Formats: sequence, C-alpha cells, structure tokens
Amino acid sequence: MWDRLANRSNTADGPKMTEWRRRRGKAVHLRDWKPLVQQVDSAQSMHETNVNHPANDSNCGLYVHLPFCETKCGYCDFYSVPTHGRDTAPLVFAIVRELKRRTDHIEQRILTIFCGGGTPTILPIDQLDAVLTPLGGLAKRHDSIEFTVEANPATVDDEKTRLMVSAGVGRVSMGAQSFFPSELAALERLHDPDDIPVSFATLRRNGVERINLDLIFGIPGQTLETWSQSLRRAVDLSPDHLACYGLTYEPATRLTAQRNLGKITPCGENLEAEMFELTTETLEAAGFKQYEISNYALPGCECAHNVGYWRNQPYVAVGPSAVGCIHGERYKNIADIGGYIRMIDERGDAVVERETLTGEMLVLEMVMMQMRLVEGLSISAFRARIGIDPRALFQRPIERLAELGKIQVSDTHIALTQSGRLVADRVMTQLVGEPATGPISLPVLSG
Amino acid sequence: MADLSLIRNFSIVAHIDHGKSTLADRIMERTGAVSKRDMRDQLLDDMDLEREMGITIKANRATVNYKSHGKSYMFNLIDTPGHVDFHYEVSRSLAACEGVLVLVDATQGVQAQTVANAYLALEADLEILLVINKIDLPAARPEDIALEVEQVLGLEAADAVFTSAKTGEGIDELLEAIVAKIPPPSGSVDKPLRALIYDAKPDPHRGVICHMRVFDGSFARGDKIDLMGVDRSYIITEVGKYTPKSTVIAALGAGEVGYFVAGIKTLADVNIGDTVTRASNPTDKPLPGYVPPQQMVFCDFYPGTGTTTAQLREAMEKLWLTDSSFTYNTVSSDALGIGFRCGFLGLLHMKIIQERLEREGDVSVVQTAPTVEYEVLLQDGSTMRIESPSELPDMSLVDEIREPIVLAQMIIPADCVGTVMRLSLDRRGEQKKTEYLSQTRVMLTYRLPLSEIIYDFYDKLKSCTRGYGTVDYEIEDFRADDMIKMDILVNGVPVDALSVIVHREKAQYRGRKLIARLKKEIGRHMFEIPLQAAVGGKIIARETIRAFRKDVTAKCYGGDVTRKRKLLESQKAGKKRMKVVGNVEIPQGAFMSILAPDD
Ligand SMILES: Nc1nc2c(ncn2[C@@H]2O[C@H](COP(=O)(O)OP(=O)(O)OP(=O)(O)O)[C@@H](O)[C@H]2O)c(=O)[nH]1
Ligand code: SF4
Ligand SMILES: [Mg+2]
Repeated sequence: MWDRLANRSNTADGPKMTEWRRRRGKAVHLRDWKPLVQQVDSAQSMHETNVNHPANDSNCGLYVHLPFCETKCGYCDFYSVPTHGRDTAPLVFAIVRELKRRTDHIEQRILTIFCGGGTPTILPIDQLDAVLTPLGGLAKRHDSIEFTVEANPATVDDEKTRLMVSAGVGRVSMGAQSFFPSELAALERLHDPDDIPVSFATLRRNGVERINLDLIFGIPGQTLETWSQSLRRAVDLSPDHLACYGLTYEPATRLTAQRNLGKITPCGENLEAEMFELTTETLEAAGFKQYEISNYALPGCECAHNVGYWRNQPYVAVGPSAVGCIHGERYKNIADIGGYIRMIDERGDAVVERETLTGEMLVLEMVMMQMRLVEGLSISAFRARIGIDPRALFQRPIERLAELGKIQVSDTHIALTQSGRLVADRVMTQLVGEPATGPISLPVLSG
Repeated sequence: MADLSLIRNFSIVAHIDHGKSTLADRIMERTGAVSKRDMRDQLLDDMDLEREMGITIKANRATVNYKSHGKSYMFNLIDTPGHVDFHYEVSRSLAACEGVLVLVDATQGVQAQTVANAYLALEADLEILLVINKIDLPAARPEDIALEVEQVLGLEAADAVFTSAKTGEGIDELLEAIVAKIPPPSGSVDKPLRALIYDAKPDPHRGVICHMRVFDGSFARGDKIDLMGVDRSYIITEVGKYTPKSTVIAALGAGEVGYFVAGIKTLADVNIGDTVTRASNPTDKPLPGYVPPQQMVFCDFYPGTGTTTAQLREAMEKLWLTDSSFTYNTVSSDALGIGFRCGFLGLLHMKIIQERLEREGDVSVVQTAPTVEYEVLLQDGSTMRIESPSELPDMSLVDEIREPIVLAQMIIPADCVGTVMRLSLDRRGEQKKTEYLSQTRVMLTYRLPLSEIIYDFYDKLKSCTRGYGTVDYEIEDFRADDMIKMDILVNGVPVDALSVIVHREKAQYRGRKLIARLKKEIGRHMFEIPLQAAVGGKIIARETIRAFRKDVTAKCYGGDVTRKRKLLESQKAGKKRMKVVGNVEIPQGAFMSILAPDD
C-alpha cells in the first residue's frame, strides 16, 4: 500500500507543479519536489465548515516568539523567562533581524501573523514598537487577514493598546485562565481576577476588533461550579473567541513536580470530562461554536493563524525556541536568549534542529492536526498531498471507530464526534495504528 | 589424500558460556588460521543474533593446520552451542568426530549441560579431553574443579589441561594434548565412498552447502554421488573446507571434514544425517543417521498489524529453508484468524525463530503463549496428540489428558537442597536421586511435568540457588494427571488463543493471576471490558478494565507538532504486534500473560 502511495506521489504532477517548474526555470529533482498548491477543494470545504482560513500552500503563517514574562507560571512549559529588570532590547533587535531575513524575500503570502510568547505586552513601549512596526508593514504588504498579539491581564494599558491597533493588530489573545484567586494561585499566575475585565475594557476602548480569552479547567481545587462561573464571567465580557484548555501536567514543570511529590491532587479524569462537556454546552448556548478541541468562536471569528497549523499549512517562525515549518522542512530555533542573540549575530539564523518531513510523517501530522478540528480531516486535502484516500488507508479502524460512535465520515471529512473528542488521542492512535506499514519513499512534501 | 594419522576431528562441548567459542578463537589464532588483524571475539558466531546475544546457536566448524615436531596436522574442529535447546546440534556434530574437548569453567565447575553433553560424548564412544578453562579469573579453582569432574563424570583429573581462552595460557599444551590423546580417524580411502551429512546450509548463489564427514573413500568435483536416504543423485560442483573461510579444494578423503555443493536446490531436498556414496560404486553400509530433533513447545504465530497471512507464510517458508529445526502448520483461530502452529525445541529457540522471522522476513508476528504437547485419551479408546489447548475436544468425550514428563537433572549448592526440593514439589515433581558431586554441590534428579518447567522454572531455580543452579532435561514419557482446560473471555467473548490447560488444583490460582495480568496488558479502552476465566462454563475469576473517560491533548500548535507526532509514532509502533478481537486490542504481551512470573 505504501509502495503504491509513494509511486502515486512521485508522479503527481498537476498544473501547479508545472507552474512551479516554470517559475524555477530549471529541471526539478525529485528531492527538491515541493508541490505548491494541491488543495483542490479549499473553496468547497470553506463553504461547509466556515472556519475562516483559505488553506493553500502558497500562503503561510508567521509566528514571532517573545520569551519574556513577569514571573514563570507553575504549569508553563513554553520557553519564557522572567525579565527581572533585565535589558530586553538586544533580544528584541536580534528578533527583528531574524524577522527581516526570513520575510524579506519570502515566496509565500503571509496570510496571518501571531506574536506570542511569553508575554509580548510586557516589553517597554519602544521595544514593542520595534517589533510591531515591521510586523505591521508585513501585514500591509501581504494583505494579511489576521494579526494577533498575546497579552496578559494587567500588562496592557491605553498607550500600548493604541500602539498595537495603529500597527494593525486586529486581535488580542489574553490569558485570563480563571476568575478565582485560589485557582490562579494554584497555577502560580500573577494577576488578580479583577484585572481581567479592566484589561479587557482597555482593549475594547482602544479599538481592538477581536479578543480571545484563554481559560483553564482541571485546576487542582477547581469544581464544576467554579468552572461554570469562570466560563460565565468570561462570556459576560463578550469576547469573540474563547480557548478553554484542560490543564496539562507537562514534564519538567513545577506543577508536575508538585504533583509527583503529592503536594497537589489533580482533579481526576471524571471531573475533567464533566468540565469539558460543560464547556461545550455553556459556550454553544452562548453562541460560540466549538471549532477545535479547545477552541470556540463566534461565527467567523475563528483564529485563522491557528487553523493554519491545524490544516498543516506552512509557517515561518522567528525568535528563541520558535518552530517553523516551510518547504517541507521543520526547524527549531535555539531556546536560549544569549545563544539566540549570538547565533543571529554570527550567522543570521539560530536554528538548532531540523527535520525533513517524509510522506509517512506527513500522514501522521495531517491526522493528528486536522482531526483536532471539528470539521475533521479533509479527504481531498489528504488525497492531494498523500495521494491516497484516507478512507482506504484507514479503512478498518474507521469502521471500528465509527461503530463505537467516536468518528463520523462524510463525503468530504473524517471527523471526531462529540464523544470522540473526549478521547481524541486514543482515537487518533487507533486510526493510524493499523494501516500497512513499511518503508515509504515519498519525496519532501508540503511547501 | 591426507595422511589419516595426521588428522584430528573433535568438537568442543560445554555448558553455556564456559568459553567454547573463545577457545575456538585461540586455536584458530595460535595455528595461524586467522591473523591477529582479522580476529574478533567468538569469530565463528557469525549470525547477527549470535553476536547480539553472545551465545552460539548453530554449530560452526573450522579446519586448521597445526605443526608439531616437524609434522603438519589437520584439525577439524566444531564449536557447538551450550544451551539446552540446541542439544541436537551437539549430537550431530559428535557424529563427525573421534574426540571432544569437554570444557569446564574453572570458577563454576560442572553444570547441568556439562553433564548432558559429556554423556552424549560417552554414548558416542568418543575420546574425551578434559579442559578446565578461565584459569585467569581470580576465583578460578582449576584443581578442585578437575577433581569434581572426576567425581561426576569419571574423567581423570590428572589428565586435565588448564587453559585461559582469554589470555591464551595453556593453549600450546592443549594443542599438543589434542595430537596425543585424540585418536586419528580410521577408515580407508580405498573403500567405497561413505560420508555423513552432519549439517547443511543454504546459499543464495550455490544452492545447498552440505557439511560432511568422510568415513571411507574420497570424492572430487565432477563425481556423481548418491544421497542414500532420499535416493537421489547429484554431480558435485564444488568441494571445500572452512579455514574458517570457505576454501575450495580438489578432493576430500576418508577421515576429513569439509563441504560439498552439488546443485541441490533447497534444504528440503537433503536429510541431515544422510549417507553420501558414489553412484558408480555405492557402499552397502549406510551410516546410522540421526533421530530428528524433537519439538518440545508449541505456539501459534499470527500476522501482526500490517502483515498478511500470505506474507507470514512466505517468511516462514523462507526461514524454514535455512533452519528446519522448527515445524509449522496452518491453523485457524476463531479469534485471531489464520495463522501457524509452530513447534520449537525450547523457549529460546522459539524466541530466536520469532526474532529471525521478523527481521529476515520483515513481518510482524503476534504469538500465543507456548504450551507443551498433550496426549488425549478419548472415551472411545482412541488417543490423539494436541499441540494447543484449543484443539482439546469437548471434555465429555475425554477420558484422560496425559502430559509430557521430563527427567530433569539439577546441579545446585548443597545448602539449597531444601528450597529446590520444595520448588520441585510445588511443580508436581517426583524425586529420583540425590548425588553429592562434592561437599558443597549436589545433583538432584527429578521427574517433572514439562509444562511446569519450560516457563519460569529456570529463573526460579536461579533465584533460590543464588544464581548457581542449572538444569538439563529430556522428555521421558507421557503421564495422565488431572488436567483441565481454562477458557478466557474478553468482553464476553471466549478468546481461544488465550485458553490454557492447567492442573485442576492450580486452576483457581492460575486463573486469577492470568486475569490480573491480562488486565494490565490489555489496558484501558474507550469502553469497559470485562475479563473472565472459566472452567467448563463456570467463572472462576473475573476483573473489569475501566473505560477511558478523557484522553485528549489540550494544546497542539506549530511548536508541538514534532513531539506529538513522535509520540504517535511510538504508539503506532506499539500496535504492530497486536490483535483486535471484537473491538478489543490485545497486545502481544497479553498472550504471554500465562508466563508472567509469580509475584
Ligand atoms: N576471563 C575469561 N573469560 C572467558 C574465557 N573464555 C571465555 N570467556 C568469556 O566467557 C564468555 C562466554 O564465552 P563464549 O566463548 O561465548 O562461551 P561459549 O561456551 O561459546 O557460550 P555458548 O556458545 O553460548 O554456549 C565471554 O564473555 C568470554 O569472553 C577465559 O578463559 N577467561
Ligand atoms: S504568562 Fe504564559 S508564557 Fe508566561 S509563564 Fe505564564 S503561562 Fe508561561
Ligand atoms: Mg559459543
């Protein structure tokens, strides 16, 4: 089966391929093979799913990582360090240099921009400006459809918000997490619940079009009741988007260490499941539609940047620890501020890990990412990139999972059901666990 | 032709790990067969698995030249495996020799396989040269050990040669002793050709290579020979020796050991143990040949995820043509579909075949728990042999179930006799003999059901003898006992591949243990799974595997993809050796639950 798959892809040479050859103006070697656009059904699937992201390989996302926070939250495994009054300027300038290098001659259209971290908004205003201004320029040049900045309550004021809005930021994602001080304390989050509405109002007052709030459930000590209240208070602020994450005990975090020492008791699988179910019910009743396992939006307010990840679209990334994936290759920058500055100075990039995506990897990644979306895995997108119908490739597990009511298959998508989403990881393992395996010699896929 | 008086044919036999292959290295090195530069440890162990596991699986041979007192001797040596599963390799090798080196580790002394292998040599009426090895080790007690050997095997301690196969000490003395003690072959070049095929291996280009010992006569390239057992004729296309590389020579004569190639296509076309003679002038006295190796344990191999039955069959056929020491037949399981019932010489052999199948045949295998063969006496007076619990007929038709009983010899420290006796009793053993090898070491002889010792008996014996105990065994006969079949139900469905035959008194205990183990191995699913053990329709043990309520990654963005994908890759790999019954995924480990050690 994999042989067939490889053959099929080796010979795939659609109109776009020809166009690409023409553009390159030279013979194409197989190992250079990077199809550009093969999303035959993008218009059609957009129509059905209304998730606002025109999946298309000649587009890409841009991610910028600013690794500073006021303090380190106990559960956090992002690369971010407390500023402690250190001078953040050298890093900011290094990031701007990398940004320029990576985007000056980019072939793709930068469809979305996401500036995250860390907490970008704790940068002093001039440094924030130094980052946002070139990003704003890019957004204009590429006619980007979305420009998001991450913020935390109590780190935004009128001045910074005005700066953001004038740079073109149309979306702010704010880490609210919980409206209960004890729960915030359990997470070792710095802010006061009362900061949330205040900061929210600041954003709205200054014209931020779209606001997302992040919330966390499954916090030690949290109950169904407090979770329900946090959800309601968040909804009352009228955000456009909500991301509700089940708390994850990531390795090498203080939270996990405390759990392992028995100092905190996780909430338990049953309660977490109930909270998850409550989230969907509450938010759907308030007009939000779940479009991904942890993400809910008012119609048309989905985060296009993140949808790009979930549709396996290319993305460029800049900054320490940032991971980009473009031209069939994924790269990761060094997760060390000093090292990053040095590398950017010395050689212009700070990449410390690279991997070339094989067809076999891409199969897993497409399942793993697209199945997170409520719309599910696009059959035509999978066929276009892998060269085989996923319904054939995963025939047996699909039958079994459908029988168990965990997935449903339409003419266009393979998607999790509501009950399937609760056990999404299991479902995905089962889905990919069964097809024929063997060496697969697909050329580099995805651009 | 070589002068018979200058030929010495011998095998090296010993308990596992006493240093046979290393001693072969030193002999090849000292006689100049292999240069220092080309030397590597256990050079003759050329299979990947042998090198990885550090043990010899197949007997290997080498011809070397040794110069002594102005004469040049030809030594044909065979390095044999020590593990009990491969005794048949030793027996085969001995038939090509006049003598053996019985090697004993100077720190460990006589062990179970030392005794078993030395007896094989005595029965074959071969000259035995006692070699006490590893004398370089600080704990070496060569003199004591030599006395112990004298006590147990009746070999003269005074004649022992002391060596270190590691440092090379004593090797010169050993080479001289080989010349002096091991008799040269008798036989005559002038008699009709009579040669023994003691082993054979396939070669992708040349066809089958037959390893042989010539007893009488001689042959050369172009000769027409007869394989007497299968009654087929071939023209010899190549004659050679292993030096240890295969080296073409003009002819082989009486007393020599070497190989021939004769356009024989597959191993199925030769009988190991067959007599080779000349078509034009045949011998009238074929050699006695071999008793075929006896399979002791049986289990089923089913295709794992991503492998088809056809692929597995092809892989088995191919492997069998390189090593016919296992058997296989098609079976069909209600739960697992079409697979193969296989017979093995022991658990190590089973593991090796399974491993080679997966590697060399590029298939994934799901294997059921090994079991012994049972003899079933039916009500109508007829008997049948079954190699799997699922073959057992309805119990109302069964008069009695007979199981294989082995004669087991255990060598243990004297102060452990009590514990080992308790262990053997618990395994339904019947004591036959207690012999003191020395003041500190005892040899116990027991009759034991094979089913009680193939799984964890050796580990148990080790643990109750501080690691010193060893055991060797041989099937004696079949004996009736109160055996019953225990069925296992997974999610309400009986899974034939999980049923086991157990002694009635142990059913309850085994059932509970098995179910508890299955619970761990099968693990949680997206639904609840009841597990039950039943005897004759009556449930004797049960457990429930709870369902997963929630198992979902909360966040997965651009920076998380690689890590999450790798996780998925490893989970996917874990599913390769797994079977789906109903909707339940039963991993390989679950089928082996019955083997789980007692806690
Ligand atoms: N110190 C010391 N170690 C030795 C000597 N001879 C062998 N060994 C070691 O003992 C181990 C087993 O040696 P092998 O030659 O593989 O033993 P074997 O008898 O061929 O083992 P099987 O083929 O598995 O039965 C290896 O680690 C050798 O290096 C020796 O004379 N002295
Ligand atoms: S604010 Fe966000 S990035 Fe910073 S430490 Fe907390 S969780 Fe991590
Ligand atoms: Mg060996």
